[in-house]
Amino acid sequence: MADSREAPPFSDPAMVLVEKLVKVYPGGTRAVDGIDVRVERGEFFGFLGPNGAGKSTVMKVLSTLLRKTSGRASVAGHDIDREPMAVRRNIGFAMQEVGLDDLAKGRDFLVMQGLLYGLSRHEAGRRADELLELVGLTSVAGRKVGTYSGGMRRRIDLAAALVHRPPLLFLDEPTTGLDPQTRLALWDHLKQLNDQGITVFLTTQTMEEADRLCRRIAIIDRGRIVAEGSPRALKAEVGGDVISLTFDQANGEVDLLRAQALVREQPYVVDVKPAGTGLSITTRDGGATLPSLLRLLLENGIVVANLSVSSPTLDDVFLKHTGRKIRSEAAAGNEWDQALRPWLGLGKR
Amino acid sequence: MSLLRETYYIYLRNVRVWLSHPLNVASPIMFVVFFFLVFGTPLSSVTLLPGFPADDYKAFLTGMILVQAVVFSGSDTGFAMLTDILSGYFEKLLLSPVHRFSILLASLLTAGTRALMQALVIVALALVLGVSFKGGVLGIIAVILMSCVFGIAWSSLGLMIALKTKNVQVTESTWLLFFPLVFLTTAFMPKEFLSGWFRVAVSVNPVNYVLEGIRVIVVEGWKWDVILPGLWVLVGMTVVLTSAAAWFYRRATG
Repeated sequence: MADSREAPPFSDPAMVLVEKLVKVYPGGTRAVDGIDVRVERGEFFGFLGPNGAGKSTVMKVLSTLLRKTSGRASVAGHDIDREPMAVRRNIGFAMQEVGLDDLAKGRDFLVMQGLLYGLSRHEAGRRADELLELVGLTSVAGRKVGTYSGGMRRRIDLAAALVHRPPLLFLDEPTTGLDPQTRLALWDHLKQLNDQGITVFLTTQTMEEADRLCRRIAIIDRGRIVAEGSPRALKAEVGGDVISLTFDQANGEVDLLRAQALVREQPYVVDVKPAGTGLSITTRDGGATLPSLLRLLLENGIVVANLSVSSPTLDDVFLKHTGRKIRSEAAAGNEWDQALRPWLGLGKR
Repeated sequence: MSLLRETYYIYLRNVRVWLSHPLNVASPIMFVVFFFLVFGTPLSSVTLLPGFPADDYKAFLTGMILVQAVVFSGSDTGFAMLTDILSGYFEKLLLSPVHRFSILLASLLTAGTRALMQALVIVALALVLGVSFKGGVLGIIAVILMSCVFGIAWSSLGLMIALKTKNVQVTESTWLLFFPLVFLTTAFMPKEFLSGWFRVAVSVNPVNYVLEGIRVIVVEGWKWDVILPGLWVLVGMTVVLTSAAAWFYRRATG
């Protein structure tokens, strides 16, 4: 708060501007640890990171749902502390956990949203019809929202976020829990919206989503941004193809450190990191170097059980900067979640 | 958009949600009918006791039934807000460019509307059963208004518990906590007929002053030495409880 009292108002034309943002929850969890972000008008920007990285917290602070601990931020040219109402008027937010008025009919729900954003009843009605058409829910507009499927709920939530034609759309993991077909359809919607000039700020754990949709992404881990750039540039930074090897443990546990040291000595290897029960090896040309690698390992008594060669992915970018894969983080989170939910009397997600 | 207009839209939505559950509307009616039938007529000869302040026991009970209806539905407002919080709709409201206070105000007005509906049903049934309101038409209006204000004050308690605990079971069970406050009163007998610890408890129970203020308008008319203390307690209770609810609400919404 002291920062925003003393610092001059923002004059930067960026759609989102964040400086040294920190958020510490009661209890001491430092969810956001001093991040700087800039999103230009009309951009499709993404935060990519595993569960607990701080993505949703950043979004909730920027949308004024949560108070920041320190730092500064402006959204659509408005300081989030000094002008929270102006911020809310300029954003639409479709959250990870879809929050709808289940007892309202679809159209009535959108009309209510319009009224809350200052539209007249007539305008709100017209806008609701327009949006129902856009998201393909006209045929169920008279049904209660509580009867909608998961995909339909996401679509009407997106429609609700657009009712007041905001210049900036926040989307917090918008395709979580959707089947592939619905996910693709939603991606198309989002691309269309961005083509129409709406700035989109998205958070995701899905590399494909970030890769397909975002012009620029920031990789976030444990409250900090570890890398930022276009997906293409970030992948190019990894330095080449990635050979993933897992070792045969049938004759005893393989000494990963020894294997890593052996591989690292080779001139064609750019980088090598442990990955589970094997190694992730970056080379300039995976196809050409693979035979030499396999021969080297076999000569030293290390048998490869499985291998793959791939061009760099954002997961590799994440691995390079954090030493971990996003997938293993997401999978671990999901396993715990699925294991605990029955004990808590909750159904499966 | 003005605070009033925002509050109005959210209030309309809250009322629609409340009316969408048929039991919400039917249960106060069933409750009232039960009390009048079970206690009103069978115990009517109580009024023959020397010094009893009413000649119609149903009239004497009307005040208690009005107060009890409010107390027993005290958790409804908190429960409604908690439902919105847990469903995520509350965050949807917080994300919109409305004054945050309008959400709370709309909840309190919904509580007042609920109390109004209950009071109208109770008064109508009392009239049908032959209760004569000694305070006249103005007395009927006063009794209904006091019940509405009491409903707003009392719902603030349920709101505080919901906002503090965010727990469905605890919020739903709130009425159990306040249940004694209705019965540690002159609900069934005037104070002159009570004794010992019970009489002491009645004397310090603020709900009793509200109850007596409402009841005296029904059974005796405009007796200001009883009405005024009831009004003061009601105003004080409303100010304190709604302010406390606003404080809890502010903390919960940042």
